[in-house]
Amino acid sequence: MKSILRITVFVLITLVLILSIVPPIVETPKNFFEFPLIPGLEDKAKIIFFHVPTAWLTVIAYLIAMLYGIRFLKTKDIYNDMKSVSSAALGIVFCFLATLTGSVWAKFTWGSFWHWDPRETSIFILLLIYGAYFALRSALDNEEKRARLSAIYSILAFLTTPFFIFIMPRLMIGLHPGALEIDPTTGQVKASSNPVIKFEMAENMRVVFFLSLTAFTLLFFWLWNLSYRVLRLKYKLQTEMQES
Amino acid sequence: METLVQFLEKNSIYIVLIIVLIVWFGIYFFIYGLDKKVKKIEEKLEK
Repeated sequence: MKSILRITVFVLITLVLILSIVPPIVETPKNFFEFPLIPGLEDKAKIIFFHVPTAWLTVIAYLIAMLYGIRFLKTKDIYNDMKSVSSAALGIVFCFLATLTGSVWAKFTWGSFWHWDPRETSIFILLLIYGAYFALRSALDNEEKRARLSAIYSILAFLTTPFFIFIMPRLMIGLHPGALEIDPTTGQVKASSNPVIKFEMAENMRVVFFLSLTAFTLLFFWLWNLSYRVLRLKYKLQTEMQES
Repeated sequence: METLVQFLEKNSIYIVLIIVLIVWFGIYFFIYGLDKKVKKIEEKLEK
């Protein structure tokens, strides 16, 4: 089962890399291997295949961290805490990657690396919230107590995640796709007209996009499993050494 | 620096390359960290 996962991750990521980079951007696509031109974006439109999956994995990782946190509180099984913390660690890695990739893109699309756009502010706060999670963990020596407190914290922290990722950036005026816009003719605030957020992507781009989401999600599960196994090994070795 | 920015603005596929590289570096350093943890476990086992 696991070898199937590893092979699938390899094949899918390779496929996504080729399919996202190779197709040329043309004004009127005539065949399946051409992407349509979005004025002002050109090739930069291809960032969606890499930036959005990282943000998506952030949410998945934090959700899993919370679910295993709840599980730990129910069962008091330390292995659930290990699953929770390894997921949260991956979540912070991908949250950081989403911020960095978005920031590089912003430099060439909006003009500078950082604007304090609602989307940038919300992901920054999210980074701080989960940074505090690891500060909390490293401050506690007692294993039981650390697991219990961080499980509770992971629940509280995840409650804010949908708000910062899905709600706040859509309620405020901003530059990021999905944010409210000011209509240039009437001067009034209107809903996002960005084609990306309404999933009005070209058919072939949508295929690559969902392929990419699947590939990155599978990659996440592999990395999560690996880091959990390392933590478990470390724990088993420690307890065995204490016993002997 | 100025010319590099201008070059990237004209050839935006390289911006996509930078972004793919950032994601790859992130994943690489995560695996590197795991490798270090495994090494520590191995050292403990040796003792």
